[in-house]
This record gives sequence, C-alpha cells and structure tokens, in this order.
Amino acid sequence: MRRWQLALAAAGFMLSLLLPLVVRSDYHLQVLFRIYLFAALGLAWNLVGGYAGQLSLGHAAYFGAGAYGLALFTRAGVPLWAALVMLMGLAMLFALLIGGVSFRLRGPYFALATIAFAEVLHAAAKNLPSVTGGDVGVPVPALFHTNVNRSFYLCAVLLTAAATAATVVISRSRFGYYLMAIREDQDTALSVGVNAARTKLYALLVSAAFTALAGALYGSLFLFIVPDQVLSIDISNEIAIVAMLGGAGTLAGPMVGAVVLESASEIFKTIFQEAHLLIYGLLLIIVVLFLPEGIMGGIEAILRRRKRQES
Amino acid sequence: MNLLEVEHVTKRFGGLVAANDVTFSIRESEIGFIVGPNGAGKTTLFNLISGVLHPDSGTIRYQGRDISRIAPNEAARLGIGRTFQVVKPLPNLTVLENVMLGAFLRTSSRAKAAEESRGVLRYLQMERIADSHASGLPLPMLKRLEIARALATKPQLILLDEVMSGLSTAEALALAETLKKLPEWGISAVGGVEHVMQVVMSIADRVVVLDHGTVIAEGTAKEVVHEPRVIEAYLGSKYKELGL
Ligand SMILES: Nc1ncnc2c1ncn2[C@@H]1O[C@H](COP(=O)(O)OP(=O)(O)OP(=O)(O)O)[C@@H](O)[C@H]1O
Ligand SMILES: [Mg+2]
Repeated sequence: MRRWQLALAAAGFMLSLLLPLVVRSDYHLQVLFRIYLFAALGLAWNLVGGYAGQLSLGHAAYFGAGAYGLALFTRAGVPLWAALVMLMGLAMLFALLIGGVSFRLRGPYFALATIAFAEVLHAAAKNLPSVTGGDVGVPVPALFHTNVNRSFYLCAVLLTAAATAATVVISRSRFGYYLMAIREDQDTALSVGVNAARTKLYALLVSAAFTALAGALYGSLFLFIVPDQVLSIDISNEIAIVAMLGGAGTLAGPMVGAVVLESASEIFKTIFQEAHLLIYGLLLIIVVLFLPEGIMGGIEAILRRRKRQES
Repeated sequence: MNLLEVEHVTKRFGGLVAANDVTFSIRESEIGFIVGPNGAGKTTLFNLISGVLHPDSGTIRYQGRDISRIAPNEAARLGIGRTFQVVKPLPNLTVLENVMLGAFLRTSSRAKAAEESRGVLRYLQMERIADSHASGLPLPMLKRLEIARALATKPQLILLDEVMSGLSTAEALALAETLKKLPEWGISAVGGVEHVMQVVMSIADRVVVLDHGTVIAEGTAKEVVHEPRVIEAYLGSKYKELGL
C-alpha cells in the first residue's frame, strides 16, 4: 500500500466524521450507519474469507454474540465497558470452538462448521427463553441517549476505521503474508514452516472480535433484538456478500461492497418492498459470473494487465 | 556425522508399496541424489522426510532426532527445506514475495525478509524478475523459484525434487554449478532425478538408486554405475552412452 493511498483513506474517514454537519436527516444517517456497519463487518470477514481464503458462512454467530452479549451481560449487572470486553471474548470463544477443530482438517469442513455453529446458536436463542427471551426477544441497553442517529453513525465510522487500520497492519506483516500463503497454497505454506491451523485461527479470533462489536452496535441501535434478526443466516450471507462483491482479499473491497450493496438494497426497498431481498441473489450471481474477484479485484486485474502491457 | 538417516522405512498406498524397507543416510554438507525411473518412489521419500507423509514402519532421523511423525511445518522449522516436483508458487504474489515467505521462517521483519530474499535471488540469478508476478513465469524459472523459497528458510537440508526436469542439458548443468556451492554454506541437499545422469555425476557425493520403492544400489556415483544390478535394472544403454 502506497503512502498516498493511506492519506486518501485517512482523508476519507475524516470527511465521513464531518458528514453529519451536512447530513441531518435521521433516515440518511441510518442508511449511512448501515453502510459503515457492513463495511466494518466486511473488513472483519475479509481477514478470514479474503486474505486467508477460508469461507465463513456463519459470521452471524459472532454478530449475535455481540448483540446478545451486550443485552445479557448488562442485564446481569456488568458495567458497559466490561460488557463490551466480555462480548468480544464470547465471540472469540465461539471462534475457537469453530476454528479449533475444523482448521486442522482439509476440505470444506470450516465452511460447514461455520454454518452449523451459527444455526445451533440461532436455535438455542429461540429455544432458551429463560436466558435469551426466546422468540420474544430481549432488550438491549441504549449506548446513546441524545443525537442517537448521529452517534451511532460516528461509532460505525470509527469501527470501520479501526478495522481498516487492523487490516493494513496485518496485510503488511508476516502474519498477513502467512494468511495469503495459506490461501494461495497451503502445502507451500506448510513447507516454509507456517502453522496453518494456528494462523487461520488467529485471523478468525480478530475477525470475531470486530464482528461482535458491530453486532453490539447494531443491537443497541434497535434497543430490542430477536434471534431471527441477529443470528439468522441472512446476516451471515450479507456479511460475506459485502466482502465478495467488493473484492475479497483487497483492502478497499468491503467498503466498496457495503456502499454498493446497502445503497442498492435501500433503493430497491423503496421500489419493490420485500422483493429487495432478491437483489442479494442477483448481485451474487452477477459477481460469480462476471466479477469473480469482486469489484476491486476486477479493477486491480485490469490495472495489472495495463502495467504489464506498458512494460 | 550423518545429518539424515532413513532406516528401514516402508510406506504403502493401499496394495502399492511406494517405499519398501528403504535405508540410506546423508552426511552434513553432502549432496545426495535419489535416482529412479518414473514411479520409483522418489517423491514419496521426500514427502516422508519433510513430514507430509508418515512411514508405516521404520524411522527417519534428522540430527539424531526421530522425525518420523512430525508435521511438515515442524520439519521446516528444524531446517528441512523442500521444493515441489509439481511447482507450487503463490501465483498472485511477486517472485520476491514468494521467496520472502521462506525468509519469514527466521525473521518477522519485512525489511529483513526482503533483504535476505534478494540475496537468495541473486545467488540463483533471478534478481531481474524479482518484481514479476509468479503466475506468468516459464517453468525453468518456477523451478528456480521453488529452490529460492526453500533456501530462504535457511535450511540445513534441502530436498530438491526433480528441479532439473524440463530444463535443457545446458540449463541443468548451469543449475548444478550453482547447487554445488550449497555445501560451502553447510547445507546438505538431496535431489531426485529420473535420468539426468551427467548432471548427477558432476555434483553428487552419494547416489541412491531406487526401483519400485526398493533401494537397489547406494554409493558414490562411480560405484553405483558399476553395480550390475543398476546397469541391468535401470541404466542399461544410458550408462553405455556416458562411456563410463
Ligand atoms: N498419495 C498417493 N496415493 C496413492 N498412490 C500414490 C500416492 N503418491 C504416490 N503414489 C504412488 O506411489 C508410487 C511412487 O510414486 P512417487 O511419486 O513417489 O514416484 P517418483 O519416483 O517420484 O515418480 P516420478 O518420476 O513420476 O516423480 C507411484 O506408483 C505412485 O502412483
Ligand atoms: Mg516424483
């Protein structure tokens, strides 16, 4: 990553933080919140699904751990800051359970384990009303009482900035190289001494912690959560699609994917009502057929080709 | 002193015995070659030594320590580097980055890994293509890239599986000249070849001849080519061509 790219990213986040000076409508702030929330989620997913190339279709497990963690830990009397730490810990525990075993195996075991684990949590949340409130749901404490939409928006921007910074640091480190090596050829990675199972697990732990924070933010904005909302397979899919649409394994991909997917779904929602869910399916088909490396992956490939022609 | 000792190692794939009671050893700063026709079991032996496969019976010792059951990443950590016969570059990374991956085994600094990798690329006469993507390289360069990545891990033993195949005789001889220097740095090497006998003769301290998973001769290159069993079973007319 070049210095001007870093400067551009920093300037972008600065402008985003100033945006509420201009954008004052609650509706628009909510849409922007959703864009940044999913950018952060896409970035978190990207560490595992993009850089390490390990397909997770169950990030709802960590997202739900964040939302339910905030609700349940604070209800038990834990102070807010400690609840935030604990909900990250809970998500990391889930990551340990999912990745600890499946990362040792070859084949689609990790992807299957992610789906299965998220679905088990979903069912548990529905069927343990004494703990989770079951299908009725559970209240989540408000993180902000004044300027609610603006505050949540700013939090989402900061979370995305933090996830971007983490991605930059990781992708330039030995750890980041190891993740890419595992994606490109795990045998090669092993032959140069990479402990592939452990390296993938570390990436998943970081990913889970960020995802849980996003989940807590999301739950707190709604003040009330039910299993179908924060633990459903739809959340898992949306997180994965954001990153893949924008470009898995690229830094800007998740941000681009979040802007495209969330604004498209917002536009289609007003036009087609419920049918807007179709947009996910359609976008996914378009990506798979025409842009297998996502929007940013496609752009990078074009730039690379041009550079090669020049030289 | 023996760096590597393979003792009575047997490996079966179903009914097929790919390594049959194989015994040989490699000393420190020595270049050995495992010679054998297609399907003789050379790659299987490299996979066994590098921890990719584990023997059904027998022992593999490295620096006196039993490594029969270790994982491939542990083998690398102990100083066993390897190349893959079917080359395995990381296609979306540059040549330099591919080599850095090896260097990262001994340093976590990106700058240090890059510097060491440039040194390895210079040694293998590849510095010109350091910034090219690995995906578009011709096979001879990919073979060298395999060696470069393994060397960057600073191994004491490097396993070179068919690094000369697909090269012209001139290219193979040039590569052999380069590999000859490895023992000066305290690196032992074990190569695997099908039939590049001229090249093997020029650099091998020790030759192990393998046929259907069984060692049929072991010794210096000169000794081995005079073994009747080798002449009869494998070398045949090629041996005569060399006029030894
Ligand atoms: N994973 C495996 N499963 C089943 N059979 C295998 C496996 N690996 C190798 N074999 C078989 O074991 C025998 C030895 O193969 P190996 O690849 O070790 O030979 P080689 O000497 O390296 O041959 P080549 O010159 O083709 O590289 C062959 O008959 C091969 O088909
Ligand atoms: Mg072979």
